[in-house]
Amino acid sequence: MSRKNLPLLILLILLVIFPFALTLVTGQPIDKGAPRFWQGLLIQVYILAVFALSYDLLMGYLGILSFGHALFFGTGAYALGILLKYAHWSLPAALLAVVALTAAQSLFIGLLSLRVRGVYFTMLTLAFATVGFILVEASDFRNWTGAEDGLHGIELPDFISPILNRLTFYFVALAFAVVIYLLARRMVDSPSGRVWQAIRENEPRAISIGYNTLWFKVQGVVISGIIAGLAGALNAMWELSATPQMMDSGMTINALLMTIIGGVGTLIGPMLGAAVLQLLGYTLNATLGAVWQLAIGILYVLLVLFLPYGIVGTWRNHGASWQQVWRERIEKWMGTDQVTKRGSSNVKRET
Amino acid sequence: MTFFRSNRTLLITIAVAIIIVFLATRGMSAPTAVSILLSGLTLGSLFFLVASGLSLIFGLMDVLNFAHGSLFMLGAYAGWTIYTNPRLILNTAPLGFALIAGVMLMPIVARKISLPRVARYVAALLAAALVLLSVRDFPLQKLVAFGTTVSGQVVATVDAQESLNAMLTRFALMLVAGIVLSFAWARREKANEETEGTKGTWSRIGAMTGLLVAALVMLFGRDAMEQVVLGTDSNLRFVIALLVGAGTGAGLGALMEFGLIRPLYARPIYQVLLTLGLVFIFDQVVRLVWGPAGAFMQMPGWFANTGKECPAPNLIDWFGLHCDAILVLGRPFPSYRLFIILVGVVMLIGIGALLRGSRLGMIIRAGVQDSAMVEALGINVRRVFTIVFALGAGLAGLGGVVATPFLGVYPGMALEFLLQAFIVVVIGGLGSVPGAALGALVVGLARAYGDQVVLTGIQLPFMTEPFTGSPAIARASTVLIMVIVLLLKPTGLLGKKEG
Repeated sequence: MSRKNLPLLILLILLVIFPFALTLVTGQPIDKGAPRFWQGLLIQVYILAVFALSYDLLMGYLGILSFGHALFFGTGAYALGILLKYAHWSLPAALLAVVALTAAQSLFIGLLSLRVRGVYFTMLTLAFATVGFILVEASDFRNWTGAEDGLHGIELPDFISPILNRLTFYFVALAFAVVIYLLARRMVDSPSGRVWQAIRENEPRAISIGYNTLWFKVQGVVISGIIAGLAGALNAMWELSATPQMMDSGMTINALLMTIIGGVGTLIGPMLGAAVLQLLGYTLNATLGAVWQLAIGILYVLLVLFLPYGIVGTWRNHGASWQQVWRERIEKWMGTDQVTKRGSSNVKRET
Repeated sequence: MTFFRSNRTLLITIAVAIIIVFLATRGMSAPTAVSILLSGLTLGSLFFLVASGLSLIFGLMDVLNFAHGSLFMLGAYAGWTIYTNPRLILNTAPLGFALIAGVMLMPIVARKISLPRVARYVAALLAAALVLLSVRDFPLQKLVAFGTTVSGQVVATVDAQESLNAMLTRFALMLVAGIVLSFAWARREKANEETEGTKGTWSRIGAMTGLLVAALVMLFGRDAMEQVVLGTDSNLRFVIALLVGAGTGAGLGALMEFGLIRPLYARPIYQVLLTLGLVFIFDQVVRLVWGPAGAFMQMPGWFANTGKECPAPNLIDWFGLHCDAILVLGRPFPSYRLFIILVGVVMLIGIGALLRGSRLGMIIRAGVQDSAMVEALGINVRRVFTIVFALGAGLAGLGGVVATPFLGVYPGMALEFLLQAFIVVVIGGLGSVPGAALGALVVGLARAYGDQVVLTGIQLPFMTEPFTGSPAIARASTVLIMVIVLLLKPTGLLGKKEG
């Protein structure tokens, strides 16, 4: 276990003991009141963290700006909902089906869209997401999707029900986030991941070296799509429903926001960004009331202008030098730094 | 022969379009077909007003301005407010002007003073605090009047305005905030960048004074101005609304470009992300101030007559009668929609004349082709960027006001028209104004036919019953056209830029 991973391990341990710690602190039982509420909040954070991670795989590592990511999220949610509610499949089978379905969907969209570059690709993804949203909201399919109201009343086995057994759900969501993060890190550090980053930096050069960049990009889109679909399915399980809001542009903007806040091109950044956004949103809602979304929007614009690399990104860029500067200041103040120790002998040597 | 080969995309498209139109209108009576055609032209005209700016901005600056739909919406709301009851604008514009006037001080400050970094951050925070203090408890929502106005009477928001003293306090706070902000912004390199010289400084001071004087006139004369505006004839008010809407769009566009997009030229992806953030902000602002519901605008007098002599039998008679509908091939068609078509055509001709006949237009066309070269030739390309952005935004704002008697105002119009504008520019080609016109035509007609399909069905040659679809199909049809065009010819039908 390298030293670099130590902070993450500590964070994981903190998150695992958090519900129990909260019970101890507030004195309330673990499945009622404040512990229950905070478990719910953190579950949402974990789900959105995975969604943001999938978005960062595309944007940060492949350099592809997609405005239709909510399509995969929503498809996962609706697919799970329909399979559980109307087709009465078991949960594991439905989840596998979600993986297969989102894989096929992202393969199709990837092969079609990646033939064009840049702005055109972005608009194409936006178009696909809009078509998806229109279909899901259309009254033609009311019997399957519930149109504007969405699909409600998804039934889950009791042991994982977010209402009856929220603690189990909490650990399932946490485990899900951890597993996906480890998988993503493995992928990004692998040779394929290196090719992704090469494509992001300079695609013509990658092609001239001999890589079939289209295949790698499609790979990235498919993997990202599957992860987003699973996050959507988990979201449907959490909310016990699938609504059109899970597929609209607001969801994509959420993913974008979380990635920017956390730091593009770092895997842990978007997950942190998800936590920041959820918690910040909750706090602002409590303090400012109706204006909170506007405050988030202004914060986003300020971030884009002044802190483009996000929290984790800026830390990685400047963190080492900041640490150095502060270490020196503290040492100087305590008198233990090199200059003070050598002291007057230095001055004598100069004259 | 080369004419056919070089323009083959355009010719194939026209051929396909004619075939589709022919098939679709078979079995339809002539009046219905013409009615659909005119409705399509109406929508197309609106889409063109939004899309032409978007296309020009992308063509020249490579910035995909997601906030364009929001500029459309804000222009609509501004025009609607002036038309229905200008109280909101008369109370908020002075504050905005004060802030802008304060910030304009920056280059003058930067020449003498350049604060250290920490002091600048503190100044920025202080300015933010002053702004928040200035707008504390401001009765923003109460200043909005939703009732339809009757000439000469004030609508019921009677005691919602604050006293003049309170407003003057806010004004002063905003001005101070602006000045503090200019100190926070001032850096040595900023002073040198705007090497205006003494003449530039004086004109800057003149502009600042002008803004402050206008703001104070609006504040002191707000009751009188309100009465004057409400007392004027609805047609004149409509013209004022058009100007205010276009001006709001242009002003906001210039501000956006100067303050937000210019700093990000080195990071183009972030420019797009920033405009996306602005969409969100503008949407929230509109919902907070005017409410999530939306409103209608009373039709201006020229298009409002519904007496016995209406609908007017033909266009010539309409000029005398000012009916709300004109008989086209025996069917009444709303006359305001013909006005929308007229505005679209006039703007197309106007932009075309600007681009082909003026020096600025030449610079713009050159910049669309190769902006680096234009800069190398010694032309201040940055200023042209701001002008083009303002122009495009002004068109969008104008489109918003023009659309309002037809569609009303509501927060959702930003995203709706943005999507349609994207479709239009993709079909027509980014960077090309004739392309935008063509694309707008295609999308408008597609929407009109789509609505007809939903309404009554279209008799296709191989089906026994008319083909009806849900509204979803009408909405999805234009998006699908965009997907097809993006896959077959990403640069659009008349596009100039390579992908």
